[in-house]
Amino acid sequence: MTTIDLPPEIETVFREFRTCEFSTLARDGTPVTWPTAARFQPEPAQFLITTSIGQAQKVFHIRRSPRVALLYSDPTASGLMSPPHVLVQGDAVAPDEIVTSVDAPEDYRVYLRDNIFRRQPASEAMSSNAVMRKLFDWYYMRLLILVTPRAILWWPAGDFAQAAHRLEVNHVG
Amino acid sequence: MWDKLTKSLAMFSSAVVTGTDAEGYPFSVRLTPRIDLARQVLHVELPNHVPIQPGAAGLLCHSHDEGLWNLKSFIVRGRLEHEANGWMFHPRQFIPGAGFGGLPGFMRWIMSCRRAARQYLEKRGLPRPAIPWKAIEALRAESKRSISP
Repeated sequence: MTTIDLPPEIETVFREFRTCEFSTLARDGTPVTWPTAARFQPEPAQFLITTSIGQAQKVFHIRRSPRVALLYSDPTASGLMSPPHVLVQGDAVAPDEIVTSVDAPEDYRVYLRDNIFRRQPASEAMSSNAVMRKLFDWYYMRLLILVTPRAILWWPAGDFAQAAHRLEVNHVG
Repeated sequence: MWDKLTKSLAMFSSAVVTGTDAEGYPFSVRLTPRIDLARQVLHVELPNHVPIQPGAAGLLCHSHDEGLWNLKSFIVRGRLEHEANGWMFHPRQFIPGAGFGGLPGFMRWIMSCRRAARQYLEKRGLPRPAIPWKAIEALRAESKRSISP
């Protein structure tokens, strides 16, 4: 199990940023980066990301190469002033199990409630009536991605010109 | 591709550029690329301490509002090369994301996601799962009451 002794300002970034820039590696090795919502779970230290089976490309990438990165560099709506920018490098797994229940697993329920529904109220439109439910049912067929960090780097105030602070993550067990 | 890229890049104040480090992990930084119209490349000022290696690379621009809505994004696939006058991003493929193409673009996106979902299920011999709409609505109601931990 991995736990990390994170500086509080880094954990605040993980908690308050609405999105991170999530990179996976395509078949030809090109990094492909899209914005996504991630939830940091301190114990064990992991990031939960989900995607629909209608947008599963990042999952296909992970099943070929688990090496991924999450950059937290857009503080819009976080309420934070000049927060550090944080890069997490790690290894991801993406089981081939489609999740439609919103009750389990519990981490997914909390992710959906707090990171998506509460922060993105307009997304309610996607389930607001029968037509929208027909059009968007694929959105609720989800695949879970778990990222175990191996290194966390950060730049105070997002100043990439300065050398990054770096925390290596030691895995136990 | 180049015209789309320059017009789209002008909508954003910065971009995320991602390459890979010596161990093969993605490594991203946010910066402001400079457009070289003559060579159709982007100058990117990567600080010396950033361990990105020359090679395959990507660029992302994205934005959202305070309600995590009005999403806008695009990515570009290309290569990063360290040349005599600094790092250059050589774009190869422009891929629009959310917020591009207006209503027709949005409808195309929905249809492509529906098609991809159907193919995902068909490939595994799975029936289209039922969605628990009542439970989703209950969780949405809970989200309006709860406070993030």
